Amino acid sequence: MNYQPSDYLPILVQLGAAIAFIVATMLATHWLGPKRHSKLKDDVFECGIESIGDARTPISVKYFLVAILFVLFDVEIIFMYPWAVNFKALGWDGFMEMIVFMGLLLLGFIYVIKKGVLKWEK
Amino acid sequence: MNSIIALSLFGIANLFLGFLNNRKILMPATLAFILFALGLNLADWNTEVLWFNNMLRTNNLSVNFTTVILVATLLVVAISRGFGDDEEHSHPAEYYAIMLFSVVGAIMMVTFENLLMLFIGLEILSVSMYVLTGSDKRNLRSNEAALKYFLMGAFATGILLFGVALVYGATGSFSIYGIGNFVTENRMGQSEITPMLYVGILLIIIGLLFKVSAAPFHFWTPDVYEGAPTIFTAFMSTVVKTAGFAALYRLLSVSFVGEYGKWVYLLYFLCAATLIIANITAVYQQSFKRMMAFSSISHAGYLLMTVTSNQATTQSSILFYSLAYSIATVTAFAVMILVSENKTSNGKPDESFDAFKGLAKNNPLLAFALAVSMLSLAGIPLTAGFWGKFFIFSDAFKRGLILDLIVAVLMSAVGVYYYFKPIIASYMKEGNIQEITIKPIYKLTLIITTILTILLGLMPDLVKSIF
Amino acid sequence: MQQIPDVIRQIPLNYYVFFSAALFCIGVTGVLTRRNAIIIFMSVELMLNAVNLLLAAFSSYKADPAGQIFVFFIMAVAAAEVAVGLAIIVMIYRNIQTIDTGILNKLKW
Repeated sequence: MNYQPSDYLPILVQLGAAIAFIVATMLATHWLGPKRHSKLKDDVFECGIESIGDARTPISVKYFLVAILFVLFDVEIIFMYPWAVNFKALGWDGFMEMIVFMGLLLLGFIYVIKKGVLKWEK
Repeated sequence: MNSIIALSLFGIANLFLGFLNNRKILMPATLAFILFALGLNLADWNTEVLWFNNMLRTNNLSVNFTTVILVATLLVVAISRGFGDDEEHSHPAEYYAIMLFSVVGAIMMVTFENLLMLFIGLEILSVSMYVLTGSDKRNLRSNEAALKYFLMGAFATGILLFGVALVYGATGSFSIYGIGNFVTENRMGQSEITPMLYVGILLIIIGLLFKVSAAPFHFWTPDVYEGAPTIFTAFMSTVVKTAGFAALYRLLSVSFVGEYGKWVYLLYFLCAATLIIANITAVYQQSFKRMMAFSSISHAGYLLMTVTSNQATTQSSILFYSLAYSIATVTAFAVMILVSENKTSNGKPDESFDAFKGLAKNNPLLAFALAVSMLSLAGIPLTAGFWGKFFIFSDAFKRGLILDLIVAVLMSAVGVYYYFKPIIASYMKEGNIQEITIKPIYKLTLIITTILTILLGLMPDLVKSIF
Repeated sequence: MQQIPDVIRQIPLNYYVFFSAALFCIGVTGVLTRRNAIIIFMSVELMLNAVNLLLAAFSSYKADPAGQIFVFFIMAVAAAEVAVGLAIIVMIYRNIQTIDTGILNKLKW
């Protein structure tokens, strides 16, 4: 089966329809909806407290460290997929190599724990 | 090859040594680790082995390059100090561990057989260097240097990878010999020529030239060298450069040699441009550290010249030059660390040429070591640097790179001018530097490097016959 | 069910090359023109993803898994690079409260 560029026309139509729908609804709500401004109405939500300062306050660096560690250890999973798919073909050699790999990761993890990075209350 | 495994494990061991409350053992332990790795490396001499499904190749060439890298690292570690002075913010164990890891990357860059390993090695080396550059956390200059190095390095990696992808698309192989065979057949007209291959080669060369800081991709170098802690500047300018040129040479001489007629012009002009820009700019520098940065760019130009000539002797020329350059650079930086720490201006170490004024009066050893290293970098006879330049010029002459040769000779003359600045400052000018106390191992390193520089200058065959 | 490489092969190879080249160029432009470190960083990631796409396309066209393995390594290494890069950016933010590269002029560019 060989696709021609013209076969992708429906996608283009779909894209156009999607964008047109979004634009249309946004314009429609803008025109149709009533607009009344008052001090009370423009105020922050009733049960909220007065907002102070910038919403983008820096958060504790501990979140950052945990997030980074998560990314690092999480991505290593991708090396397990090819191994898992070819588990039988790779046999014991592959298993030992994966043990070495996971062992190195584990050493890194032990280092992280001993360094106290994951201690939340310090 | 075994040295890669050993160094990785030693790096981890170093991390855990940091948990002992004894910072004194870290440096001796690291030195011992590197010496052990050096021994393992030399044990591979005269063997030709492919490792890990043709991923890495160890042969005499790789053993030689690894030796140069390990010797440079050994010297840098020997002059390292001061990590432990500031108790709160310093992590000496981590710095030594990262240095060992980065050496692993460098060794992978000289032993690679597959572009995958080149990429991994390059990244291990670069990412470690980003961390080390920014290791002076409270210092804004160090921060800025780290950010610039990181952004430029990541950008260069992206370019290199796109080149790798295009070359893979054109040749269907990541193995450097596989690519080499394809390119040679290409020349014979046995397979179709695609422009993709040329674009890929171009991008790979650009990516690697970024890493070895050749013009016009050198803009990050002075800033990063100046901002990084001096000890890591010494490490960067020796190990990274050697590994980068080894990788560039291997790629160009094995994979792309079939298209020599195409890329030679690119390198021919970039080499001349690098030499001119680096040497002329270096003349105007007031800071010794910044001058050394431009000096390292200019040495990249000289090394590029022998890579361009692509002779049979190129590999030994690169090796000899890297060795001579590494030894001299480490000596120069070692003297600079001592002098600039001794003499501060506005609370910061004074890194200008003025800091060296009157050095020879009370510190004859430091002044002599500095003078010898500067003479070697300038390429004055009776030092190792002279023979390094000599071998490179003779390679270029054999290939007939006349323009490059003329530029290189002229620029060596310019180089003499700025390399003599610190010598003149230390011997001729009046200054008030008291006697600087030097630790025994530091003194020993300075003596050894100075003797090595002169010895190689008198008898280059001592190592040239091995390379 | 169609195999994934077959699906990939239904689009001509040139399209992948042009698309990746376009993505790559967008990334390069971003690196060269933007001032915010995070956005430069995202542009670099875009460049790497262009490479990944290209490698995956070549890999399935040549029926050679090496290209896809390369993609895995690029992903893993990119994650490590992200970690270090963000750490550097956070370090700078702590010192000067901004990540605009224009502020960083202590060293001449």
